[in-house]
Amino acid sequence: MDKQRIKELEEMIQVVLLAIPREISAREFYLQAAKKAVSDSSRLLFSDLAEQEKGHEAELRRILTELKTELKEARGH
Amino acid sequence: MKRENLKNYDGKDGRPAYFAYKGKVYDITGSKLWRNGTHVNRHHAGEDLTDFMSMAPHAEEVLEQCKIVDTIDDEVAEDIFIDRMDRLRDWYRRFHPHPVTLHYPMGLFYFAAFMQLLYLIFRVSAFESAAFYAFIGATLTTIPAAVSGLFSWWVNYQMTLTRIFRMKIIFTLVMLVFGISGCVLRFLYPGISAGTSPLSFSYSALVFLNVPALTIVAFNGGKITWPS
Ligand code: HEM
Repeated sequence: MDKQRIKELEEMIQVVLLAIPREISAREFYLQAAKKAVSDSSRLLFSDLAEQEKGHEAELRRILTELKTELKEARGH
Repeated sequence: MKRENLKNYDGKDGRPAYFAYKGKVYDITGSKLWRNGTHVNRHHAGEDLTDFMSMAPHAEEVLEQCKIVDTIDDEVAEDIFIDRMDRLRDWYRRFHPHPVTLHYPMGLFYFAAFMQLLYLIFRVSAFESAAFYAFIGATLTTIPAAVSGLFSWWVNYQMTLTRIFRMKIIFTLVMLVFGISGCVLRFLYPGISAGTSPLSFSYSALVFLNVPALTIVAFNGGKITWPS
């Protein structure tokens, strides 16, 4: 039971971990796009998208911390 | 207040509920939306919520109705640390040293094994020398590939030891041990490939075994770049 849980947690950590650099790259991409934008509406859209990626990154980091704590506890038992 | 004191205001057990947003500390004690210090089951009082606003269905204007009670005064030290990691990540993204350096051991280990194979079939000594030189090059260039990989692991993945990284690190060490042992053997016994002793067999085995070891390391690298 515990073994199964540990395995699930490890897999989830792997998924979340690999997602974080993607969000960072996406944000970087949108920020560059915002700089190149030739209209206010597209600049706004790209800045907005960049801001959202920051939110995704923050959420993922928080989930990662939670998962790591849970894994530590699961292993401790 | 100091950032570390913020967590004492978590809204639980009758404690006040504060959160930080862009350096300001807001008081939402008693708010129906923050019962027991928890907001929509997701955000917690006592934390800095700056980065989460973009995920919320409302804009930061909702904060205009909240009382500001303090500011976070250790912003500076925290900022410097985050900044440094961000700068390193930026640098990594721009120059991506791991994908640049890993091609040298990738190409050279395969080439060394191929040349050694040709030598064992045709017994032309030029093949054997080519294998040896390629093997030295491969072993040496494994070092920058490993260092840049570890660097990426540090800045991009907070050194979290998952299965993928465990495999990569173990088999990189295997490659280095096989590589260095092979180079030392061939250096001490220049005619080693020609013989039929266990030592000769070992040398060829080291040259060949680094191919699967390398493939495991690279395959796990690909899993990072193209996760399934
Ligand atoms: C301690 C050893 C190593 C660690 C921690 C490591 C870490 C990483 C990381 C984090 C990535 C994702 C791409 C990136 O961040 O740039 C990656 C990709 C990769 N690594 Fe490594 N690495 C190590 C050693 C090696 C070695 C020695 C080789 C080859 C000889 C290698 C081959 C690859 C390959 C082929 C990829 C995929 C690259 C791509 O998709 O462009 N790694 N590695």
